[in-house]
Order: sequence, then C-alpha cells, then structure tokens
Amino acid sequence: MFFPQAMTEMELIVPEKDLLQVTSILAGQGIFHQVDASYLSSNNNVKSNDSWKDRAAAYSSLERQILITMQALSIEAGSPPPADQSAMIKLEAVRPLAEQIEQDVKDSNNQLTASQKKLEQLQNYIRQLLPIADIDLDISLLHNPRYLLSILGIMPVVNLERLQTSLARIPYVLLTLQKDRENAVVWLTGSKRNTDILERAARSAYLNPFDLTDVHHGTPAEIIKSLNMDIESLQESIRKQKARIAQLHSSYEHQLQTLLWRVRSSRLLADAMAHYGKLQFTYLIVGWVPSSKTEALTQQLKQASGNILVDATPLIRQGQANQNVPVALQNPGILGAFQQLVTTYARPRYEEIDPTILMTLTFPLLFGAMFGDVGQGLLLAILGWLIASRKIRALQSLASLGTIIAVCGLAAILFGFLYGSMFGSEEVFKPIWIAPLQNITKILAIAIGAGIIILSLGYLLNIVNAWRARDWGRLIFDHHGIVGLTLYWSLLGLGAASVIKGFPLPPLVFTALAILAGLAVMFSEPLKHLAERHRPLIEGGLGTYIIQAIVELFENLISLLSNSLSYVRVGAFAVAHGGLSAVIFILANLVSPDHGAGYWIVVVIGNIFIVGFEGLIVGIQTMRLEYYEFFSKFFIGGGVPYIPLNPVPSGEK
Amino acid sequence: MLTGGASGYAAIHSRVRVMYSELLAPQDGASLRDTADLNSLLESLKNTVYGPYLNRVEDKELTPRRAVSEIKSRTADIYLTVIHSAPARTRPVLIQLFRHFEIDNLKAVLRGIMTNSSWERVRDTLFPLGSLTLIPAQQMLEAGNVEAAVTLISATPYYDTISHAMKRYADEQSLFPLEVALDLDYWRKLWTTVKQLPGQDRTQALRIIGPLLDMNNLMWAMRYRVYHRLSEEEIINYTLPFGYHMRDEDIRAIAAGANIARVIERLYPGISNVEALLQEPEQGLPKLELQLQRFVRRQFNSVFTGYPFHIGLPLALVALSEFEIQDLTVLIEAKSAHMPNEKFTPYLLMGTNPDNIAT
Repeated sequence: MFFPQAMTEMELIVPEKDLLQVTSILAGQGIFHQVDASYLSSNNNVKSNDSWKDRAAAYSSLERQILITMQALSIEAGSPPPADQSAMIKLEAVRPLAEQIEQDVKDSNNQLTASQKKLEQLQNYIRQLLPIADIDLDISLLHNPRYLLSILGIMPVVNLERLQTSLARIPYVLLTLQKDRENAVVWLTGSKRNTDILERAARSAYLNPFDLTDVHHGTPAEIIKSLNMDIESLQESIRKQKARIAQLHSSYEHQLQTLLWRVRSSRLLADAMAHYGKLQFTYLIVGWVPSSKTEALTQQLKQASGNILVDATPLIRQGQANQNVPVALQNPGILGAFQQLVTTYARPRYEEIDPTILMTLTFPLLFGAMFGDVGQGLLLAILGWLIASRKIRALQSLASLGTIIAVCGLAAILFGFLYGSMFGSEEVFKPIWIAPLQNITKILAIAIGAGIIILSLGYLLNIVNAWRARDWGRLIFDHHGIVGLTLYWSLLGLGAASVIKGFPLPPLVFTALAILAGLAVMFSEPLKHLAERHRPLIEGGLGTYIIQAIVELFENLISLLSNSLSYVRVGAFAVAHGGLSAVIFILANLVSPDHGAGYWIVVVIGNIFIVGFEGLIVGIQTMRLEYYEFFSKFFIGGGVPYIPLNPVPSGEK
Repeated sequence: MLTGGASGYAAIHSRVRVMYSELLAPQDGASLRDTADLNSLLESLKNTVYGPYLNRVEDKELTPRRAVSEIKSRTADIYLTVIHSAPARTRPVLIQLFRHFEIDNLKAVLRGIMTNSSWERVRDTLFPLGSLTLIPAQQMLEAGNVEAAVTLISATPYYDTISHAMKRYADEQSLFPLEVALDLDYWRKLWTTVKQLPGQDRTQALRIIGPLLDMNNLMWAMRYRVYHRLSEEEIINYTLPFGYHMRDEDIRAIAAGANIARVIERLYPGISNVEALLQEPEQGLPKLELQLQRFVRRQFNSVFTGYPFHIGLPLALVALSEFEIQDLTVLIEAKSAHMPNEKFTPYLLMGTNPDNIAT
C-alpha cells in the first residue's frame, strides 16, 4: 500500500504457430503491460509485422463500419458480452454479416432520407408561396405569356439593388412581394425580346425561380392546399419507414453489439501483435507483469505453448534506472478517490513512496480542521454520498469527488464536535476541545505546530525516497534531505530554546547546528557532485556560485518560514468559519429580532452559502497545502502508468 | 476613451512595430532569391522568423507544399496576436479580414470534392487555421458531394450565402456561382464592419481595406469581361457597387465595354502599359495584378509613418505579411521547379529591381 506493486520484466520468445494462443492468454489475464518491440523487426532484416498492422487496420475499418450502422439505428455499444473476448474472430466470417445488416439499414435509411427530403421540399414550396397566398391569380399563367417573360422567385436582399443596376439599359418591372432580413420574394418581368438579358441578370443576382409551377396549377392558395395533401400522405409514409427502422433496431441490436465487441477485441489483439518483435521464425514479446502474478502466468503460457521461452526478471525497487517501469498502485478500492487526487499531481515513480494513504489521512483532517461544523459537515457528507452513489444524474461523472466530499464532511463533523459548532451556532453544545473564535492565538499556534509536523514528515519521506533511489547526494545534501531537515529542526530548536525557559538544550547547540546545516545547504550542489563523483564540482565561476549559493540559502530560509506559516491558514479558516457564522446570526437577528420566519430563512441561506462558498475555498486551500507544501518536499512523480493488455479496454468496460 | 487613441493602442502598437521589423527586408528577399536551389532556400529561411515554423517539420518531410503551409502559419500567428491585442471595437474588422483564409479553405475543399481529391492532398493546400476554423474540412471532403458537404456548414456564417447559390450549382455543376457568392459576401461584410468603426479608426481602416477592395473589384470586372467574356449584367451582379477610389460608374463602364486602361490610369497613376497587357489577357492580367499589388504595397508601407495609434498599422501589417507569404510561395515553387531567376523574379513583390518588374 505504501509502494507500487513490485514488477517483473518478461521477455517471451514464441513460435509463430503459438502466437495467437499466447496473445489470447496475455490479453485474457489482463495483467501484461506490453512494451513495443516492433522496432526489432526492422533491425533484424526480417519481414516486419506489417501483416498484423494490416489486420488491425482491417478490424478497425470493420469496427467503424459496424459503429456507423449502429449509429444509424441509434444502438448504443452497450457493455461487453460475458463470452470469452480473448479469441480473434476471422474477418471473412463476420464481414458478410456486417455488410448484409449495413445494406438492410442503408436501404431503409435511404428511403427515409429521400422521403424527408421530399417533405422538406414540399414544406419549402409552401413557405415560398405563403407571401403571395392572397393573390388571386393562376401563377402557372406566368409561365408562357406571349409577350412577357416572368420570373417569380426568391433572392438575397443584398442583391436587389445590384440587380436593378444591371437591368438599367432595358425596360423591366421588379416587384418585391415580400422581404425579410435575408431574402426577398420578387417578381421580375420584362419584354420577351430581352429574355437573355433578364435571365442572365436574374441568374447572376442569385434569383432562384420557384419551380413549383411546372407541377402545380392554380392560385397560390390552391397550390398550398394541394401541397398540404401531398405532405399528409408523405408523413404517413415516413411513419411507416420509421417503424421499419425501429423493427431493424430490435432485431439487430444484440447481433450488432456482440459483433462490435468481438471485432473490437480482435482489433486490440491484432494491434498488440503488431507491436511484437519479429525474429526469424519466432516472435519476441516484451512487457511487465506484477511479480506476484508472474509464476501463474508463466505456467499458463507454458501450457499453451510447449516451445515458448520465458525470461522473467524481477526488478529490484532500489536505484534510479526504474523510470520506464510501469507503476501499478495497490490501494484498496475505498482509497480510489484519494489515489486520483495523488495521480492528478503526479504518478509516483516505481521506487517512490505512494502518498495515497498519507493523502487519505491528512486531506480530510486539514479540511475538517478548517471547516469544523457538525451540521454543515453533515450536509457535505450527505451531498458527497449522493454524488458518490451516482444518485444525482447530472453529477455522475464526479462520483470520485463525491467520496472525497463525503469523507471531508465526516471530518468536519468530528471537528464540529471538537469546536462545539452546529450550523454556525456555538450555543447548541459545548466544545469538546476548543472554540476557535474564543482562542484565536491558541488555535493559530496549534495550526503552525501541526504544519511543522507535516512538513517534517515530508522531509523524512524525501530522505526515505532518496535512500530507496540510492541517490546519496539527494539523501544528504538536498534542500529537503538530511541537511535541510537538520537546518529546519535546529532553527525550530533555536526558537524554542530562546522562548521556553528551562529548555533541555542551550540555544548555542542549535545555533552551531543551524550554521553547519546552513553551510551544507549553501554548498549543497558541489557537495552533491562530490558524493556523486561528478566533475566539475562547480559549474561556472566560484564567485558567481557563491553569490548564487547565498541567495539560495536566503531563499531556503524564507521558504522554511513561509512553508511553516502557511499552515496558519488552517487555524485562520477555523476562526473565519466561526466569524462568518456569527455574521449570519447577526444578519438573521436584524431581519427578524423575534426569530420569526425571516430569521430562519437567513440562517438557512447563510448556511447554504457557507457550505458552498467556504467549502469550496477550504477545499482549494487544503489542496494547496497538500500539493505545494507537503508533496513538493518528497514527491517527484513521473511514473509510467500501468496499462495491461486487455481485449476490453478499461475505458470501454 | 480608455480603449481609444494612444492608451488603447499602446500595447498593440509595440507588438505591431516588432512584427513589422521582422518582415523580410529587401536584402533578405534578394538573398533568398539568389539561393541555389530549394534546399538552400529552405535553409536560408530557417535563419529568418520563419525558422521556428519550418523546423517543426523534419527535413525529409519538408516538401514544397508543406513548406508553404508552414510559413503560412506565421501569418496566422500574426493575425492572432493582432486580433487579441487590438481594442475590442476594432476586432470585428480584423476577424472579418482573417475570414478570407477560411473562405479560401472552403473553396479548396469544394474543389477537392469536385476533383475527387484525397484528404491528404487537400489538407496541404489549406491555410493552417487550427482551432479557429469553423468548417469541418475533412468531414466535408469525405461527404463526397457538394450538397452533403454544404449541409455540414449549416451552423456557419457561410451557409446562407452558399445556400442561395446551390440551385445554380445544381443546374450548372460548377463551383463558380458558389465562389462568387462567397467572395461578394466576404467583401460586403468587411466593408460594413469597416464603415461601423468610429473616427480615426474608420479613416485609417478605409486606407487599407479600401485599396484592397478596389483592386479586387477591378480585377474581377476585368477578368469577367476579358477572360470569361461575361455579359454586362453579369459583370455588374458579380462585382461590388462601392469602393475607396473606385466608383460604381467605373465598374459599370468596364462592364459596358469602356476602355479599361483609362479607368486604371485614373485610379492608379503610374501604372502604364495596361493596353499592351490586356492584349494578351492570359499573361497580361496576372502581370497587371502584380503591378496593382506593388502599388498598394507601397501605400501600406507608408502607413507606418505618421501618427501610429489607430487600426491602420495592424491592418497594414497583416496585409504586408500576406504579400510576403505570396512572394515566398512564388520562390518556393520556382526553386522546386528549378526555374532560373530571371523567369520568376518578375513575379515577386519584394526585393525586386524595378527593371525586372513584370510588365
């Protein structure tokens, strides 16, 4: 729980004939983190893995084809079927079925689309005719008059003026029958002798003639009536087509979902095989497996392939050459939400301490200390539980955040009892421990004390991490290493010895220690280089280095002070929480001195405000203390995520 | 007046000055022109402000088309910087001016559909707009036909314009009506946004956008008449009735068959040989356009002298940057085709000896 799982590097040499079976086992177990070895193929002048790449591409294309068909039928991918997903299916076996279903769906969809298009066209005709619906004239008569050319149509308003300019040299009539911001319905007419000019001008001004006069006759009102009848029959036909598609949905849903998952898993397996190294007659598979599961996997692989060669090398956790080892964190599920908070900052390296458990302890404690209130904590806990249990549909994606809110709420309840605060009132019950508003100096001092403990823990964890990484320079001379901690503690001791009478050690001891540690911090770089046998000891000139070292020491001292004082905010927020609550009760009394409805409305609204607003601010402050003050002392991060091969990727489960 | 005058333009002005100083100097142009081949040209360009853009691509993948695409990214960056730092009231003009890249992209995609081109081929011809683009170019191309592609841009400002022209496309199966409608709409909107600017900004924006609009409108009218042999009414409908120095009467006169040379001489004093150029429109029109571009380019450079706190400087900068890209495109294409200097130099706007200017 304090470290990532121990990993073993596995190298498998597999005969080509057993490749599929071995891959199925590796994928089926869901524990093998694959490493790309395909580069070996090109290095060894042997045929590369292009065929597997091609097959992966073919599966991918079929998967896309199935997804499009499913989309057309509004079928969700669903969850993977329980059947064995680790076997590959043959493309030739499933493609005809996929194509047949696709064709079926396409035909029905095309019919529906055509009908809908036709419907849209008819509705468009009606829209075009509406502006002239009250004209009592058979508009088909405009088509073939003896002396006049008539164009009835719609055009962009911005082109109207230009159209008139372009016709300036001939006699014409242009009537705007209707106009909105974009379009104008116009009737353009002129002598038939000028047909060419009129038509060219109309066309180039984007005057689109109505094309309904060819098929419909009568006045606009009569045509609209006839079109409405056509629309009704078309709508009936669309209803039937939709019913047919619904029928296809129910008959193909299960089939398509099964097919999709089989093809998807085959695609993933083919893709995995494309990343194997191809040797002369065998394949090289490289990857990582949790050490605890290596033995069982090796047995299974040997059963599947008599000729397989398995080379398993457990990795020693210490040392610095572990940066490419996948990191599988091993925290119980209940800590998942806090693990997510840690990985948001960084994923621990293989040899590093996983701070999830520390985060789980310190985060709610810090939050609760700043937000101690039984009633408001209860509200937060209930809200967090509702979110975590996914009962609030809109917040389902924040389920893990819900767990954190719920735990923080519980911590706030605990501190609420300690502070004697219930919905902001400090009169409901007596504090078990301390009332922040009445003991401001004390609570601030306690907060700084807690900060010193947390920071010291950070230093110690850095020392442990450096020890495990066999990074001796960092262990001793780092600002957060042994000398850094000595400087911090000796300064604290100096402060304590100066203030507390009868302190067991004299200030002189701490002064001497602080000077020694300060010098070590100041010259930490050359000392680190010395420990690491790195030359030159000092990069650049000595003079520049000394100035830089003095500035760094100064900065370090400031950091020690500011980091410790940073925790004062824990006490300050506890006080502010009490103060803010008091303000709400003052406001409530102003609104309704006799504690009527107004009083309670203000109290309720005020509490909601505190839970939402202050809760958010305290959450952010807690995060800051964790990430910036605590993690930065010992946590480097940058580990590679452990993503085991799986025919059903975790994101799709 | 917190965002006007010197206070509103202080930040953008310093940025524009820096970017203006980064435009290639005439001697840079000359040394680029004199490089031995495409590789030397690209190497030389890597030592200029275009270096970071070209270095993003590995040498073996730096084809001429890719190189042009990369250097265009600089213009996009200049636009973005200018748009973000310009006073809010002037941004619509800059944004609308920027839209012409997207219209060009839209045309390129539609042409790609008509010619059944692959996405890879079309992609390299598109101006790199990144996340600023409103059009789903790849999806449009993959839609396979113009009608389906147009439905994919129904939420963009281009849809209404294109939908008016779709009937003509259906009848004629030509992109010409769509492209003309897009161009006219672009310039109309640009002119409207310029006219909406207040005071000094409006005057200075007209000084930059006006000559560009005049040049475009004039070239359209000439092309439609000389090249496409369109009728008077079509030329009128396919051009704009407004301009900076150009009047609607000029366009109507050209449409009606009047002497084009006289119109040009009035609008662009100093440009000669127009008659001769129009004798052979295939070569003459591009050369005439180059002369007009040189003319406006000189005008844009002159904006950088005098009172600087107005929108004119940023607009001039982006226009000059586009001219520079045009030159670099000519250079890259010429060098990749192993063309001798004397063949392509007349088509350059920068660093040219007046003797070599295309006439």
